[in-house]
Amino acid sequence: MEGLFFNVNGGYVEGIVRGYRNSLLSSQNYSNLTQCETIDDVKLQLAPSYGDFLASLSPNPSTSDLASRMTDKLVAEFKYLIAQATGSSAKFLEYMTYGYMIDNIALLITGTLHERDTRELLERCHPLGWFETLPVLCVATNIEELYNSVLIETPLAAYFKGSLSHQDLDELNIEIVRNTLYKNYLEDFYNFINTHPDFSGTPTQDVMAEILQFEADRRSINITLNSFGTELSKLERRKLYPEFGKLYPEGSLMLSRAEDVEGVALAVSAVADYKAFFDAVGLSQGGGGLGGMGGGPADGKSLEDLFYQKEMDLSKLVFTRQFTPAVVYAWMKLKEQEIRNVTWISECIAQNQKERIGNFISVF
Amino acid sequence: MSGAVGREAVFPTRQSLGLMKNKLKGAEIGHSLLKRKSEALTKRFRDITRRIDEAKQKMGRVMQIAAFSLAEVSYAVGGDIGYQIQESAKQARFRVRTKQENISGVLLPTFESYTQEGVNDFGLTGLGKGGQQIQRCRETYARAVETLVELASLQTAFLILDEVIKVVNRRVNAIEHVIIPRTENTIKCLYRLLRVSLAQANHSEDINSELDELDREEFYRLKKVSGKKKRDVAAADAEILAARQKAEEEQAANPNAPAATATATAPAILAEEETTDVLGEQEDNDVIF
Repeated sequence: MEGLFFNVNGGYVEGIVRGYRNSLLSSQNYSNLTQCETIDDVKLQLAPSYGDFLASLSPNPSTSDLASRMTDKLVAEFKYLIAQATGSSAKFLEYMTYGYMIDNIALLITGTLHERDTRELLERCHPLGWFETLPVLCVATNIEELYNSVLIETPLAAYFKGSLSHQDLDELNIEIVRNTLYKNYLEDFYNFINTHPDFSGTPTQDVMAEILQFEADRRSINITLNSFGTELSKLERRKLYPEFGKLYPEGSLMLSRAEDVEGVALAVSAVADYKAFFDAVGLSQGGGGLGGMGGGPADGKSLEDLFYQKEMDLSKLVFTRQFTPAVVYAWMKLKEQEIRNVTWISECIAQNQKERIGNFISVF
Repeated sequence: MSGAVGREAVFPTRQSLGLMKNKLKGAEIGHSLLKRKSEALTKRFRDITRRIDEAKQKMGRVMQIAAFSLAEVSYAVGGDIGYQIQESAKQARFRVRTKQENISGVLLPTFESYTQEGVNDFGLTGLGKGGQQIQRCRETYARAVETLVELASLQTAFLILDEVIKVVNRRVNAIEHVIIPRTENTIKCLYRLLRVSLAQANHSEDINSELDELDREEFYRLKKVSGKKKRDVAAADAEILAARQKAEEEQAANPNAPAATATATAPAILAEEETTDVLGEQEDNDVIF
């Protein structure tokens, strides 16, 4: 029943996204890319999917240029989608941009704190996290003004409310601010897809809940791992964990008490997926330690790589569902991973480090 | 050779001959000292050249690894973290101090790197994702900068040593090829001139004794001159005295007035033989030409 009227409003967007999905690079494309000798060859290989966006690049472009052009294409396509979407689908797509907004705002707050000319920073902002009142942030010259009169106007105001005061912006590390915002954002998004009448009980709720739970767990685990050896206290750390997900609440509690990698491995052992990851990278055995992350173990996969892999698998599964805007979310994640992959490959080519060129995640 | 080098303009006397001989001896000692210094510096220079070569190759490798670890960071974080790191770094963790090293009188600055423990300004960067990669990238770059510092100190030493070795070698060559030949030439010339003048006087072959005799004659002549001068002065004094006495006698019939006793103090002889100041123009401004 839930699909009966979906196509009235959401059908066009979904159709477009499925079309976009087909232009994602396949493993055949990737194996061609890894054979390339120069960035120009990479450019040539990418021509079918990226066409005009790469045309204006100078010969032998830098990898960052290449990545930014690819991002341009992603942004253009997403903007088209968000312009077409209506009703709850539009709201859903907006939610997707909030994550980028958080990054942009964190950037501007950093600039304001150090009394830089924030206008220059606007260029560095991620275009997907752009909202109309973003340039207004530049008006504020001190952090109190920024908090009281400017941040209120942004879509993110709700995430500041209640958890961050303007003193916090001044005193806390910007990373803590960013992660607090992100936690609030994830919780809000999760709440949105679960309670919104258009989504509850639909495939959207099914797939998005799983993806967001995974995202929340991944953040909790990463924050815990990355906070070892820093001045972040356990209490502060706990505040950054999103309060949902497969690990919540017992796993989160154990994570907040973990003092080393073994502690983290123990905390996540209740969830089979994560336990498998930790086993794969050899962290649960106590032998790996932090140094084992990313570099040495087994098949050269780090925990981050495995998380990305899992995220891609989840995203791929979303395309098995129909009548849901979640495909946009999945497509976006796949596309971002693709940009990262291409950047990685071209970086390996540019730096002549072919032995690790296969270290990307191919989905299709 | 002698034509090109010329000789110094000195008067052909035995005294200047002696000076020239001393100068030659001094030049030879200086030459051997400078030569040794130059060798010590050159040895060090070669050592540094070799180490620069090693350091440069090491730098190539380390920088490659570092650049690659940055690529890993951008893969893991999936974005640009440059601005955030620039802004959050407030204190230098990696510092350099300079020392001076003394190599045979040449002061070479050497740089020494050390890390200030406890400074960890962007420890929380990438908390959400990619934190490990960022920390590892930082360590890799710290190693890269260490290599750069090492290379910088070697390069500085290289430049300074190069300059100093050039100057020292120039001095060595100047002494070897100009000063010593010229001095030798002058000595030869002096001998020849003196011999000629002696040969006119009496056809003796023993130059040194002839020169000595010539010197003695000269000394005797000077002494004679001064003796004659002394006698003349004494005579003049006596004349004045006599005139004064006469005047006094005429004035008063008091002949017993104590005459200003023979104040005819013998005027000092001292027509000091003026030493020839031919060496004035040899003030050592030779080293750079």
